[in-house]
Amino acid sequence: MKYRLEFCDVISKDNMGGGSSIFTKQELDDYQELTYFTKKEIHHVYKRFKSLAPNPEAVTKATKLSRDELYALPEIKVNPFKDRIVRVFSSSGDDSMTFEDFLDMMSVFCDHAPLAIKIEYAFRIYDFDEDDSLGREDLRKLIDRLTGEMKLGESDMEQLIQAVIEESDLDNDDGLSFAEFEHKMTKNPEFVTSFRIRM
Amino acid sequence: MAGYGNGYGPSGQGQDIPMQDRSHFNPAYRDDSLQRDRVAVDMEGIRMEERRGSDGSREYCPEGSTRRRWAATAEPRDTADLINALPSRQLEQIASGVAAKESIRRRKSSRRSIHGTLRAARGKDANEVADSFTRNDDYMDELDGEARTTETLRRMVLPMHDKLSIKRTTSETRKQMTLKRGQTHKKIGWWKRTKYSIGISWMHFKHRMAEFAYSLELWRSHMKKIEGHFGTGVTSYFLFLKWLFLLNIPVFTLTLGFVVVPQILYRYNIKVPSGYGFSVNETSVSFTGEELLTGGNWFNNTELYYGFYTDQVIEIPVNSTTSYNMKYAYLFTCGGYYILCLITLAISISQSYKMNYIEGSGTHTFYNVSRVFCGWDYNITDKAAARLKHKSFYNEMKEYLSGSKKKSHKKNMEERCKLLFLRVLTNLLILGSIAGLSYLVFWISGSGTLKGSVYILSDLALSLCVSAIFLVFPPIFSKIAQFEKYEEPKNELYINMIRTMLLKTCVLGILVYFWFTDTAKDKYSCWETAVGSEIYRLVLVDFFFILGATFFLEFLRRICGQYCCNKGNEEQEGQAMGPEFDIGRNTLDLIYSQALCWLGTFYSPLLSLVMMVKLFIIFYVKMVSVLQNCQPSLRPWRAAKSHTIFMGFLFFFFLMAMVAVAVGVIIIEPSKVCGPFRGEEKAYSIVTNLIDSWKGDLKVLHDIINFISSPGSIASILVALCVGTYYMRIVMIGHKEMVTLLRQQLHMEGRDKAYLLRMLQDVSQKKKEKLGPSNVNRLLSPTSNSTLEAGQRTAAERKRATVA
Repeated sequence: MKYRLEFCDVISKDNMGGGSSIFTKQELDDYQELTYFTKKEIHHVYKRFKSLAPNPEAVTKATKLSRDELYALPEIKVNPFKDRIVRVFSSSGDDSMTFEDFLDMMSVFCDHAPLAIKIEYAFRIYDFDEDDSLGREDLRKLIDRLTGEMKLGESDMEQLIQAVIEESDLDNDDGLSFAEFEHKMTKNPEFVTSFRIRM
Repeated sequence: MAGYGNGYGPSGQGQDIPMQDRSHFNPAYRDDSLQRDRVAVDMEGIRMEERRGSDGSREYCPEGSTRRRWAATAEPRDTADLINALPSRQLEQIASGVAAKESIRRRKSSRRSIHGTLRAARGKDANEVADSFTRNDDYMDELDGEARTTETLRRMVLPMHDKLSIKRTTSETRKQMTLKRGQTHKKIGWWKRTKYSIGISWMHFKHRMAEFAYSLELWRSHMKKIEGHFGTGVTSYFLFLKWLFLLNIPVFTLTLGFVVVPQILYRYNIKVPSGYGFSVNETSVSFTGEELLTGGNWFNNTELYYGFYTDQVIEIPVNSTTSYNMKYAYLFTCGGYYILCLITLAISISQSYKMNYIEGSGTHTFYNVSRVFCGWDYNITDKAAARLKHKSFYNEMKEYLSGSKKKSHKKNMEERCKLLFLRVLTNLLILGSIAGLSYLVFWISGSGTLKGSVYILSDLALSLCVSAIFLVFPPIFSKIAQFEKYEEPKNELYINMIRTMLLKTCVLGILVYFWFTDTAKDKYSCWETAVGSEIYRLVLVDFFFILGATFFLEFLRRICGQYCCNKGNEEQEGQAMGPEFDIGRNTLDLIYSQALCWLGTFYSPLLSLVMMVKLFIIFYVKMVSVLQNCQPSLRPWRAAKSHTIFMGFLFFFFLMAMVAVAVGVIIIEPSKVCGPFRGEEKAYSIVTNLIDSWKGDLKVLHDIINFISSPGSIASILVALCVGTYYMRIVMIGHKEMVTLLRQQLHMEGRDKAYLLRMLQDVSQKKKEKLGPSNVNRLLSPTSNSTLEAGQRTAAERKRATVA
């Protein structure tokens, strides 16, 4: 492994010159105002997007990346929720993302995004059956995915789900609504540090 | 408080709500999960089961009611329709329109709308959202409307191209409305216009600053690599290192600008004597390599140490009227950077505490939820690290489950006594060893008997001894702590950290005491320079020990693991056994180094530069070592909480260092032959002289300062602070009680809702059977069953009242 003495990113290799012709000034301003990125970060995100496409030279703003191409992104590849992430952020609902969807996704995961937006998207990602509440089945799938290859026994799983619901369910409807989820996550400082992908 | 407790019983701190009150309130109340027809009158007649509430309180609820969903027996389609017809669901869709309006008025204040983001996306398309924007005057305002629209849009949960189209639609509508308004001659005042242009230029400035900060960000790609392999725990160490590095930059800049550069200019102007390399007695001393290690001899008369600085009033250029008083400059720069560090540390520790302790505490630690919903670290990019993370999560869950299963058996008296005796013994042992080591350090610094034939080593003897103590004894302490059998591993970790810090504080305290007392001062003519060079040596030896520890503990352990234990490894899927990166020990080492730097900067102004170079090199060394040698840990590391604790330690050490330097300035007499304060009685007396000199010209200022520093006013400020703290505490206790009450109320509301919905379901089932399948749709419309709807509405209204 080579370690370059990188003091500033100005002298680094990802120079901003090449990407500026892709976006008009108006588009870049719009993107900057509607996401939590600076202009340079937007160019960087575009570069990452291009690198995922099978034919990087032919990539335009309207290119759609299919699900398998998106799975090649290193942060998503090892993520146990990768199918949910791609489904939630895909605006057309068919697991394919345009550049704008990709930018949206990276913006939500970045450092500067406020906690409220992260919680909203986390709720959607973890809501496997998309019924606007995290019920027992959702929690079961969540824990299952998190344990990876080793599986918890049935009684253990039941006990865990019961413990989670007892702790967070305030109105006793056997599941977590968005308000309850938000309430718990705002009080939990580990959430922000874990729900983050740095570009 | 009125209106919240109606009909729900006076239970202030009680956690069980008597069943009598419920039936008294509503005789038709039936909890039919019990499948009883009789009204439940007294508590004894119902089998209660214990339910642990979300705040750790215990509640007694009718058996079975906690688990069954009210909708378990109904058809799914009816259930879904029923839920969507609820006013609270429709409220969300209305709220996205209303909250858009409300959020403008509340934009300046920090209150949020009902949900943090505007959950407008559910069920609405882009055109409807754009309409709700255009209907709102605040968004259509000529000047601010654009900014407000984009700000609100940014926070909304919508796909990007929807947001873009809404933005364009609204801006077109805004232009048309502006034109229309312009025709009716509604002019905007010049004040509003200037406010707007100032706001725009401020926003542009902020954007440009953000871009600049992004391009300058230090070490970003390296952090990303570490994060991808190891997750947030190890990254927190490197972030802490970077933060310390950035903290030292303004300290160094201040000393360079106000102290070092004037000194250099002064010597350049005076030209007596030229160059370096002479000692006090005007004999020449040459520069040999070993000065870098010992920090003495040649370095004694350079800008590195306090003793070299002049006490004159510098005139630059020579013989002009602008004078620069070196005494004031030195003292006030020192005060300046201490105050800067104090403010920075206070702000970060209060932010960290607020985030991690106050918001996260409530009445119960949220262990379950945090482990499950934050169980995955999205930063991980490496497959091996991902596998380890899965394993670590599995182990955590197993540990939690086994912990909750085993009832904490009450220790009987004998076991408790034994444990207490053991703990007292170990604590005495540790405190005794700390005292012994402190005396050892005192003896070494006092006696000159360690001068051997190797010249360097005798100078370095003290530093080597101190660093060796810090290397060897903390692991011994942690081994002793294992005998104490703490129940939770995190308690053991905290105890170990506290003991290590206590050891370091004691040793440093003894050293400082030794330097400031007469025994040291008799030996040297210029004691401040001696102190400065001693601290330089401590910093340097500490640096070498860190490098050595990295090499031996991490590199060699990996080599041993790879080549010695080869046979065992083949079974483990080819995973290399390696050491884990000890985050706690390494961070405590960093804190100690920084404390040394703060202690020594007054006596050696360029020490902050040495510290910066040291931190820079340590970053790269540690990064290479971690990536090559270490494995990610199986045990989870609570980065957020530990960050608060480390900041606490850092702050504590900073306060100790500041107190030590303050004692040196205010009480100890400066040496007579060197330094900016030679000849003064105490270094602080220049400040008192300055204030006294204002008695003539600036009498007002003098009187004000005398008044503020008088004992009476200081005492009254302290009393006011205590009263303020007490008030805050009372408010906090009141809030906690409020939270408990509201939680109970929410719980009751949920049960109300379940009960009402069950009744509705029963009625609609009966009607469906009567009417037949063709008229099913009519049943579920909100206009039928008006009485039940009224009941629903009151329940929903009460819910809204509690949420708002």
